Amino acid sequence: MKDQKIWIAVAALSLPVLARALWFYQGISIRPEIATPDYAALVVPQPPLQTPAPDEEVTQYGGTVVVDYAHINQFQPAEIQSLTEKLEERGGKVEFMSDATLLENGLKYASSYVLISPSTSFTSGEINLLRAFVERGGRLAVFTDATRGMVYSDFFTGTTTVTPDAYSVNPLLANFGMTVNNDYLYNLTDNEGNFRNVFFDDFGKAELTFGLKQVALYGTHSLTSDSGLVLLQGDGSTFSSVSDTHDPAEGGAAISEDGNVLAFGDFTFMSQPYEHVADNATLIANIADFLLAGKRVPSLANFPYVFDGSLIQALSASDVQMTAEMISALGRLQTSLRANNNSMEMIDEKPAQGQVLLLGTFDSVEEIDPIANRFDLTMDDFSEFVTLPGFGDIGRAGNGVLLFDTGKNGNTLVLLADTTEDLTSLIDILSNGSLDSCVLQGTVGVCSVGYGGSFSDGESFEEGGETFEEETSIPEEEPTPSG
Amino acid sequence: MKDIDFKSEGTRNALLWIVLPFVIGLVIASSIPRPVIGVIRLDDAIHAFSARDMIAQIDYAIDHPEVRAVVLALDSPGGTVVDTEAVYMELARLREIKPVVTAVNGMSASGAYYLSANTDFIYAKPTSLVGNVGVIGYLPSTPFIFEDIISTGPYKLWGAPRDSDMREIEMIKQGFYQAVMLGRGKRLKIGPEILLRGQIWIGTEALRTGIVDALGTETDAANKAADLANIAHFETSELRELANIQDVSMPFFIQSPQGVTLPYPNEAGLYMLYIPQLPAQEQERP
Repeated sequence: MKDQKIWIAVAALSLPVLARALWFYQGISIRPEIATPDYAALVVPQPPLQTPAPDEEVTQYGGTVVVDYAHINQFQPAEIQSLTEKLEERGGKVEFMSDATLLENGLKYASSYVLISPSTSFTSGEINLLRAFVERGGRLAVFTDATRGMVYSDFFTGTTTVTPDAYSVNPLLANFGMTVNNDYLYNLTDNEGNFRNVFFDDFGKAELTFGLKQVALYGTHSLTSDSGLVLLQGDGSTFSSVSDTHDPAEGGAAISEDGNVLAFGDFTFMSQPYEHVADNATLIANIADFLLAGKRVPSLANFPYVFDGSLIQALSASDVQMTAEMISALGRLQTSLRANNNSMEMIDEKPAQGQVLLLGTFDSVEEIDPIANRFDLTMDDFSEFVTLPGFGDIGRAGNGVLLFDTGKNGNTLVLLADTTEDLTSLIDILSNGSLDSCVLQGTVGVCSVGYGGSFSDGESFEEGGETFEEETSIPEEEPTPSG
Repeated sequence: MKDIDFKSEGTRNALLWIVLPFVIGLVIASSIPRPVIGVIRLDDAIHAFSARDMIAQIDYAIDHPEVRAVVLALDSPGGTVVDTEAVYMELARLREIKPVVTAVNGMSASGAYYLSANTDFIYAKPTSLVGNVGVIGYLPSTPFIFEDIISTGPYKLWGAPRDSDMREIEMIKQGFYQAVMLGRGKRLKIGPEILLRGQIWIGTEALRTGIVDALGTETDAANKAADLANIAHFETSELRELANIQDVSMPFFIQSPQGVTLPYPNEAGLYMLYIPQLPAQEQERP
């Protein structure tokens, strides 16, 4: 009986406790195992560095590479030091051009023109100059960079203005069938330390990609080329930031159909420490070869930079009289050439090789017969006209003819005029450093040097009581390449 | 008379063996605490102060048995990496013993999502902003030296080479990715090529990608936490108040001279932070 009372008491005691407990707590919460990242096992991704190759045999090309620095370019020269070193190893000279008005002159002597991340577009005139430069065989390399657009933030309005360099180069590259997209390429699964550092291991067949197995670009725009060739292509997980998809027609670099224009979406790969990642050093060397190995078609449009060597040997034909005016004109020409790092010396016999300036009258054409024949220069029987293909009959009086002949043994520039006086005037035109007043067609040019010979006779003539003397132009020094 | 005695005996027995134990039972029962769903609220970036406050609330939840589960109510763009990791690891300690459910209010981005991933269930509003998985770092300057400042190594002043910093950020991202994978597991319906883009999704899209579990409110989150903790008739309490944490603000973001708060942190560092884009326009320079 007593046990029964105890059980009743326990039940009475437990009832509210259990009731409340069960009211709130309906079971036991069994917790799963909570896993967290194994932080200690995480490793910093390292780049696939290549040991710099021992000094290889490099071809000595020579030549001058003009680097544009006149369009608010978003780079520092030190950032392309690896490229300039490779150019210098190959005998090339690098010049930075910070004045756009010097573009025309620079393109006369440049082997190639390099444009890096400009913030301003080229004018139509500049584009025409570059297009003509490329048509003559000059090489153009355009580097953009997805990290180098000009950014302007206005804290007052909270507005950020971005000027991508792709916008600045596309009007130029459109002439060569290439486009830099205003995007960047990325790869989230296989990259060089960051999603925007993209590996490329699929290469278009070109000398620029010779010896490459893998290169890495660091924040690159994508490029397309309608007529040319995309040089660097990423794998299927390389996406454009604009579409977030892979487009096999887009890549990190492209070359034009004629092989003379190269465009890259990045130039950071040339800067430290990325120049030695993967095969980037080989790529930079290939770019240096590209910039110096162009085969420019010799042209009078490049005057005064038409001679390959520094010494120019001047030879006058037998019928050219060394008058005081002629000596004076040759002196001015010598001075003008010296300003371009050329020296001139007079010789009395045509040398077997070297750079030659041949002076003669139309009557001395027999002395330059081999060259005249090459240019199909013919005289009429009445000594009134010379005939040149493309020009037709040209009056001998008051006109001078330029013939520019290139060969393995050196270049020869022939100056022909009707008289010694006309020849003197023609030399003065050359001394001015520009042939802008002449009609040029490739390697042939015709310049007006007077008025049918009467002006250039050295005699004064009277008109309206006033006496006019022939004016001798004073040569102006042309801006010249440094060094 | 015997009847009266009998009744008196019966009443006494009833009082002694039933009523008294029952009353004692009621007293004991009243000492059983009503279960609490603790709410840890983060309406700020994750920085040294907010992280310290959160950790104090986590400690309170661990130490107090009546707190049976926790709701992490978030409206945060994330914050510094180290403070995010600190809270993350303390949350893992809490989760070993008590369920934690996330309720995304305005935003759970970047570091805040890092924390969300370490909870048992994630609710978001249809237009909450969720995701932005990734890391942001400000690379140090290229080292140079000053005439009047002497340091004992090239990186004493600059911290690290720029390239090293970039690669360490990538490593931190891998940790972030692991945290999300461990937290979400098979519930995640997107691969790394999508997740690691750093995209921020609205709640409905976040649900489709599997970075959240359901659309719902803080109340839903509290009920879910109660389910996971097997409790009913609970009360919800702000742990900040229970833990008696005082408000201390920290100027984490840049203030413009006009007093406008900009979305950029006011000092360089490593961040798991969503920085909303300022109005930007592209223009072609003539």
